[in-house]
Amino acid sequence: MNTLTAQKSAQSSVIAVKKTWKSSLAVYIQLAVCFIVFVFPIVWMLMSAFKENVDITSYPPKFIFSPTLDHFRELFVSYPFGKYIVNSLIVTGGSTALGLLLGVPAAYGAARYGLQWTAFLTLIARMAPGILFLIPWYVIASQLKITDTYMTLIVTHTVITMPLIVWLMLSYFQEIPKEIEESALIDGCGPFRVLWQINIPLALPGISVSTALSFIFSWNYFLFSLVLSGSNTTPLTVAAFNFIGVAAVDWGGLMAAATVITVPVLIIVALVQRWLIRGLTSGAVK
Amino acid sequence: MSVPSSRTSLTRLAPWIMVLPSVIFTVLLIGFPIVYVIYLMFTKWAPGSSFWGLPFVGLDNVKATFKDVLFWKSTWITLKISAISLFFEVVLGTYLGILLSKSVKGIKVLRVLFFFPAIVPSVAAGMVWVQLYDPSLGFLNYVLQTFHLPAGTWLNDPESVIYALSIVDIWQWTPFIAMIVLGGIQALPEDPYEAAYMDGASKTQALFYITLPMLKQTILIALMLRSVDMLRIFDTIYVMTQGGPINSSTSLNIYGYQQGFLYTSMGKASTAMLFLLLIVMTISFLLTRWRKRYV
Repeated sequence: MNTLTAQKSAQSSVIAVKKTWKSSLAVYIQLAVCFIVFVFPIVWMLMSAFKENVDITSYPPKFIFSPTLDHFRELFVSYPFGKYIVNSLIVTGGSTALGLLLGVPAAYGAARYGLQWTAFLTLIARMAPGILFLIPWYVIASQLKITDTYMTLIVTHTVITMPLIVWLMLSYFQEIPKEIEESALIDGCGPFRVLWQINIPLALPGISVSTALSFIFSWNYFLFSLVLSGSNTTPLTVAAFNFIGVAAVDWGGLMAAATVITVPVLIIVALVQRWLIRGLTSGAVK
Repeated sequence: MSVPSSRTSLTRLAPWIMVLPSVIFTVLLIGFPIVYVIYLMFTKWAPGSSFWGLPFVGLDNVKATFKDVLFWKSTWITLKISAISLFFEVVLGTYLGILLSKSVKGIKVLRVLFFFPAIVPSVAAGMVWVQLYDPSLGFLNYVLQTFHLPAGTWLNDPESVIYALSIVDIWQWTPFIAMIVLGGIQALPEDPYEAAYMDGASKTQALFYITLPMLKQTILIALMLRSVDMLRIFDTIYVMTQGGPINSSTSLNIYGYQQGFLYTSMGKASTAMLFLLLIVMTISFLLTRWRKRYV
């Protein structure tokens, strides 16, 4: 009797192992197909950036080639891509900093003091088409002659970063139990010190995700700079776009430019990936 | 929250001091522009004209916009490209999300890699896809011809351009929906599955009778997030076709951009953008109601 059940369970466990082996093979095959579809274009971009122009246009396409840095060298020697990178960093860094400065206290205030409607207000920016704001901004900025300044670009990009930060941080602050700060409040600690010394340190993972995401969003955002930047402030995205016209058939140059815009974003994602996906989808799942 | 007995006025004002800067910022940079766009809708703006005191033209801009064939074409294009893209993004995104929820070796790394399309700058994505779509040198036609399939005209044909642009959008945003679906799956309770497997349900049955019904809410939220962005599609189209060929990929956002910043017709641009805002709000309102009623 005992041996029989032992045999039976051994049998069923074998079946179970067989099943998982088969089903994980099926999963891997599906993953491989999806991987080719979704990740291949990025691999293609990176590959083409390092190919000689002859190899890019070769038919059939070459997957094995001797890599070259010529296209990147060209970007920095013949075109001021170094300057564009600095411009992008200033605008992205500035709008992320301003977004944090405005957004973190706002999210805390909204989460703790029942002022959620203020966070709601920032969401208008998520609904309205960017050109809707851009029309008045352009009219005002050209009247005041402040187009093509870092300030204008930083402030307008904060329209992207600030609401993002408010909404991410709102959920982080709501998760921090009130009890932690109550004793501090009773001891006479002011609300700003409670925010600065208790809540911000506790919400640090959330702040890192917000910083990373708003950096990515501002870095990627193209429309506002397209209209409001000029020769002094052209960021990478607009420069790369203009490059399509300048170097119509220079595929290698184009792919190198695309790579230069993309790589910083990929690095950030690799750094904060553990929190990033949770951060980006937390609001949606709840 | 327990209230300290000796409240200074600073303490009382603290919540407002925290919240007001962001509120003022929102009112100045988002609220005021919306009001000003309504003003522009009824006035005539020309390059160099002052900020206030523009000549009042009544409904001329609105009439001109609504009489513009291209305006209605753009509206149709916006709705069409949104419907096609959203449909495939939701279906494929749900599939990919379920696939990524499987616990196989290396899945955590794969989840990050699959996320890449969603964070690649649209400008870069557009540039890459322009290359992939190139009729004579592009990789896609090479693949098609290898399998003895007819080469596509992709972006160069008014008939196919919308579908080609949809494919790029689907490529870029399916992983985003997949991540939301994955989050939803990870939050699902285990008990229904245990009960179902005890009763001898197969994995396919569990998927269709347990997982998908419980995911409805998550999928609808993902759809809502995406539709708000999708209806305002601009970057990819502007980078890849600038609305062409012969305006056959001019979305409303592209139309607004062209009217405003190429033809300096701010009145028409304003009308079109307010119309687009109305569409976005209506559709997200309908989706919200649908979600509340049927899920």
